[in-house]
This record gives sequence, structure tokens and C-alpha cells, in this order.
Amino acid sequence: MGRGILFVTTDQQRYDALGCNGGAIARTPVIDGLAAAGIRYERAHPQNVVCMPSRATMLTGQHVRNHGVWMNGVPLPAESATVAGLLHDAGWRTSLFGKAHFEPLLDPFLRFPENRMGVTGDTDDDGKPHRGFEHMEFAGHGSGGPNHYGGWLRRNQPDHMGSFFPALGIDLEVNSEGGGESGAPQVRHNPVPREVYHTDWVADRAISWLGGLDLDDDWFCWLSFPDPHHPWDPPASELHRVPWRDLDLPKGYPVLQAEREAAIDAKAAHWRHWYDGTLVTNFEAPPRWVPATLTTDQVREVNAMAHIQNELIDEALGRVLAVLDADGRGNGTDVVFTTDHGEFQGDHGFLFKGPFHVDSLMRLPLVWRPAPSRAVQPSVVSEPVGLLDLAPTFCRIAGLPVPEWMDGEPLPMSPADAGAQGRQRVLTEWDSVHPGGAEVHLQTITRHALVCTRYEPGTCHDGTEGELWDLDEDPLQLVNLWDDPTRRSLRDDLVGDLVDALPERPRTPLGLEAPV
Amino acid sequence: MLEHAVDVRREIVIGAAVDEVWKVVADGARQAEWFPGMVSSQVDDGIRTIVTAVGGFLMEEILEVDHEARCFEYRITGPMHLDHHRGRITVLEDQDGARVVYEQELEPKALVYVLDAAIGDALEGLRDLVLDGRTSRSFVAVDDRTDGPATKGAA
Repeated sequence: MGRGILFVTTDQQRYDALGCNGGAIARTPVIDGLAAAGIRYERAHPQNVVCMPSRATMLTGQHVRNHGVWMNGVPLPAESATVAGLLHDAGWRTSLFGKAHFEPLLDPFLRFPENRMGVTGDTDDDGKPHRGFEHMEFAGHGSGGPNHYGGWLRRNQPDHMGSFFPALGIDLEVNSEGGGESGAPQVRHNPVPREVYHTDWVADRAISWLGGLDLDDDWFCWLSFPDPHHPWDPPASELHRVPWRDLDLPKGYPVLQAEREAAIDAKAAHWRHWYDGTLVTNFEAPPRWVPATLTTDQVREVNAMAHIQNELIDEALGRVLAVLDADGRGNGTDVVFTTDHGEFQGDHGFLFKGPFHVDSLMRLPLVWRPAPSRAVQPSVVSEPVGLLDLAPTFCRIAGLPVPEWMDGEPLPMSPADAGAQGRQRVLTEWDSVHPGGAEVHLQTITRHALVCTRYEPGTCHDGTEGELWDLDEDPLQLVNLWDDPTRRSLRDDLVGDLVDALPERPRTPLGLEAPV
Repeated sequence: MLEHAVDVRREIVIGAAVDEVWKVVADGARQAEWFPGMVSSQVDDGIRTIVTAVGGFLMEEILEVDHEARCFEYRITGPMHLDHHRGRITVLEDQDGARVVYEQELEPKALVYVLDAAIGDALEGLRDLVLDGRTSRSFVAVDDRTDGPATKGAA
């Protein structure tokens, strides 16, 4: 019987989305079961809080500065070494189903291989593996875009091509329209049948591929669900799961306007500018949506939609695992579950994401269920780890040496293991330019309960701003300690550690070829 | 003439006679032969319809074809909504042949990076067509056209 690695990712999912992480709304028994049988990480951070840089980190095991994908719209160079390539070269069967996003999605002239594959229906790159994957079938956040799911839906359920919320507007900006019952942005009651929704399609395609392997094959399958990323438009048949009017507001949403705005004003200046609708720093949130207009009902409805999407993911994953268990491969399969970055989902008065290094966007779910055949003791690790540790972990599972070009190291399997590795810190960085003129640069070090962000000079910051949070004292990140004189030495120590630990920026940044 | 600041500008020098290059550029219906990602381009009464390889289309109005200045100017009119767009291709004399300058201005600017990279590819495609007779990656000659991109793979 071969060995297997099932790498499961979601898109834009919060730490508290899962029951095993304290989430009390979405029912996620499958992932909770993996956590109970494996290792659950309480402080896993991405190296960047948007898709393309973060996914490039997962694939390469590198800091953003080393793989070079410094913001959405920058394609990972075709020649970049990847963990999928290592596994493929070692004889493993390799595949990816769902959202890849190693190359820009907004690509009307089909400049990128992933999008060409999505349009032609090819599952490889002219007969060759693409980035180490011998088989790829893509899905996006709905029926649009050049991907296999869109083509499949067009052929099989053409009446539902228009059922999804269009993520981009007619001007190709992120769609600012509202919907649902509260008018929340990017919400729609989607009449698409649950069985043809992209979450189940991703699972179905993976099951089909797994079924075509020999039982003796070693395999690596990246199961990459596009949800719960906006648009929030799960099948309407599932809305009964989480009635939005019954939800409590998230703890991170200060209900009183004065309290909410005081907390925003305690942060770097671009927070307030975005809140007021006077600044657009990045492409990933609707430019014409003004966060200050967000209502409590909209927070509730968005949360309900995301939790419904989370439940569907859990159930789809359960179907894949059941297939592996049924044919005997489950016992030899490692399962790693995580996401690429988080989502505000109402925290601090915001939705979506951007250059904001707080737990809403940085604290990620991460669960590793080692193959049951290895009889690893279940554990909870609270030391900081990063998504750059995933690729080295896959190498370790496969019995391959971790190459020097990977910046991460295999995930610790216990607190003692983390201690032996000297796990102290995890780093996250952001660089962006926007056609509207905004330029933002920030870097963050997280050292246990301390989160420290410095801002480099840009169009919004002069280089003196920063944020310092003590999560033990202030888990909701309302009190910024950056300018607290009693914390000055701590701040200096953290910034010094951050500067020492970050790699140098490349001399020539890679080109920006699309907004996303 | 361009009315706003240029948002994207690319240029290339092609080792061919200026008139030879201009002849291709000036024929708006031939754009798909050298612009990667375009399946076809047809001009009818000053309106150019471009079918893109992604399965969509672009509508453009040809504003001016100035044979004296060797300047081709157009604007995208749909289906996406742009508050403003102008595209301009100018073919100039150069000591090494022809210098082709491709400029665009647009508002809103979501497509700035897309168009910047695309017209860079397009100028290389123009060079390949003029020098080697090679058409672009996705161009489909009239006799070979189908109703859209191929659909194969997953059932």
C-alpha cells in the first residue's frame, strides 16, 4: 500500500471557523476529528495575508522575499522549485484540485498556463507537469473565470452560470454590490444545487483522481477549496443551517461606534482611511464599499454565510477521507488542513482583507493528522509556526531531505518538538502598490503572545508608525502599545528581531502583471 | 489625440521597413494575428469585435487611422465598463527599422497591469508576424474557427 499526503486548504478562513479551535457556529466534525487524532496548531501564521504570495509560500516553503511573489498579480516564476516538483521527481503521483492561484486570475488574454488549462480543459501543461503537479483541475469563486469548474458547469448546468454572485463588477473591480437579506457586500442567495457547487465538485474531482491510482502508488493531492472566500453565496438550500438573525455578533466587532472608531484610530492611519472610504490600498476588497456603513445585520449575515461554507467544506472533506478509508489507504495517509489567510468577518468593523496584520487575517487554522499507521501521539502546539513550514513537512513525511532553498522547517509534532526546534517567532510581510496611488509596506513579527508590526514609508505612512499587541492582555487587539513608553524596550527588541530574521528584499522585484 | 495621462506604454524596435510594419498595424482586422490571447478580430463600419481566447469578447471603436503620422487610435467600448479608454499605436522611423510605440490610458485602472503586460506580449507578437510570418498563440484563421474555446478534460 502506498503512502499518501492529502493537503487540504481553504481560502480566507478564520482560526475560529473550526470547532476544534473554539468555533461554536459551524459544525466541523471531520476536521475536529483530524485534530483530535493529530496535532492542532494554535499559532500558525501566513507569510502574507493575500492569496498569491501565501500560496507561493505553501508551494515553495519560502518567505515572500525569496519566492518573489510580493503581492497578488505577480506570477510565481515558472522555473521556481516546488515541493510538488520534488515529490513528483521522487516518484510520487501529484495533483491539485480547486484553486491554485500561482498565476494571476484576471487574465483576459490567457497569458498564463493555469488559465489556458482551465479554458482548454487540459489537466497538465502540454503533456508535462505544471509546477510539479501531473494533474490539475481548477475552480474559482463561482462560475466565472478560466477554470475547469466553470467549463464543467457550462456543459452540465448551463442555467446556473448566472446563479453565483459575480466577484468582479462590469468595470473589473471587485464587485461592491450587496445582496442577501441585509444588503451585505458580496452576499447572494444562490439557487445552484448543492451537489454542483464548487466545494463538492472539488471533492468529486479529487475522488475521481484518487480512484485512478494504483493502491501501491505514493501520492500527494492538494485539495484546495475556494470557500469561504467571498463572494458569500453558498447554495440557498443550505441557508437553514445557520439562520443569520440568530447569530451573536463576533467578539471582535465593537458594537458601539465610538468604541469601534477609537480602536481603529489607535492603529496605523490607513485603517481609518479605509474605514471612512477615503482610501483604497489594495484590489482585494470592493473599492466602492465603505466599511463605516457596515451594519450589525450585515456582519451577522456574512458570518452565517461563511459558516455554512465551512460546513460544506467539512462534509466534502469527509467524503474524500471516507473513500481513502474504504480502500485501505487512509491508514497510510497524512492529512494537513489549513488556509492561505484569514478574513475580518466583522472584526474591528471590517470585512475582507488587506494590509492589516491582526489575528483576524493572520491567525490560521492548521491541523496535521499524521498517518494513523505511524501512531503519533495527539498534541496541541502553541509555539509559532508558519505556512512556510508546510513544504518541509511534506518532504519529511515523504522521507525526502528538506532542500536548502526552503526557508521553513518541518512542523513540530509536539510542544517538546517545538522547543527542541527553538521555535520563537513567525514573520508576515506585505508590500503593495495600487493603481490609485497607494503604496503600503509593513512587516510583522509574532513572538508567542506579542505581535509587533512596523510600517515602512509609503503613501500612507512616514515610517514611524507601528502596532504592538500583547494578546494575553488584549486578545481583541484594541490597545496599541507601540507608543507606550513602558514598552519601548520590548518594541525595540521585537523590531530588531524582525529585521534580523527577515531575508533581504530581492534587488529587482518581480513584475506585477494583473491586479489579482 | 490622447486626452489623459498615459497609463501604460511599451515600445519595440522591429528590424523591418516602417511601411511594412504600419501596413499590419493599420489594418485593425489583423490585430488578432499578432496580439496573443485574441482568437479573431473583425472590423465592421469602424467597430472592431475581438473574440478573446478566454471565451469572451471586446468591442472597440476605431477612432483614427492616420496614414501620414502612422498612428492607429481606438477605444474599448464594452462589454466591460470603462469610464475612459484610449489606445494608440504609433509606428516611427528608427535607425534599426521601425519603432512601434503602444500606449493606453484608462479609468478605472483595474486593468492597468493586465494591459501593460499584454501589450508587451503584443509587440513581440507583431515583431514575430512581421519578421517571421508567425501568428500569435491563440489566433485562429477564418477557416479554422469554431464557436469558442475547446472543452475537454473533466466530464
